[in-house]
Amino acid sequence: MSPLENRAWLTLWSMCPPYLVYFALQIVAPVWVARLTILERFGLLAAAAITHAVVFVAGLLLLKHRERGEGPLADERDHAIDARATRSAYYALMAGAIVAGMVMPFGQTGWKIVNTMLLAIVLSEALRCVLTVTRYRGTLRLAQ
Amino acid sequence: MPSESLTNEIRLLRFLADDMTQAELGRRVGLTRQTIAAIEQGRYSPSLDVAFRIADVFEKRIDEVFCWRPAASRSA
Repeated sequence: MSPLENRAWLTLWSMCPPYLVYFALQIVAPVWVARLTILERFGLLAAAAITHAVVFVAGLLLLKHRERGEGPLADERDHAIDARATRSAYYALMAGAIVAGMVMPFGQTGWKIVNTMLLAIVLSEALRCVLTVTRYRGTLRLAQ
Repeated sequence: MPSESLTNEIRLLRFLADDMTQAELGRRVGLTRQTIAAIEQGRYSPSLDVAFRIADVFEKRIDEVFCWRPAASRSA
């Protein structure tokens, strides 16, 4: 597998489980979450973020160790795949930002807006990684 | 939408060049082994710059390495 593809898989595996648990708690146990103090709610969010960061950094170090002396990490194909996936993720992030920043403030407050924006960030990053790994298995023409 | 086809003789030329590996070809043109494999299998169309560099490695003209056929001429 290409180094960029490895990193996309690593991002998916390190990011999805902790945030899935975080958002599942918001949906499954909203009463319990609402009873938490603001510090405890930030703690819950920090736990997801720190788990993501620790697993990602550990995986990245492992990948860098395995890729030593393997030549260039990325070339024009990798950059083209990354650019296309990032472009799609950008539009997803824009849509989420419009909902959280321009629509929700008229009817919602506080944590609902925070969680919507966080969901938009997580989904756009997941979309970028999914598009990256799928495009490595498909056909890519630069002129398209 | 009609799809053109870009074929190449890289696999044959590597064989003729003392069975040069994909990694070695990649190193000489500045690409990863995975990208050379994708070009060989027709899953990736390289830039003109890379196509010229690949042809240069085998000391061939670009049209001796890559062949492009428009959709109409394939069906003819």
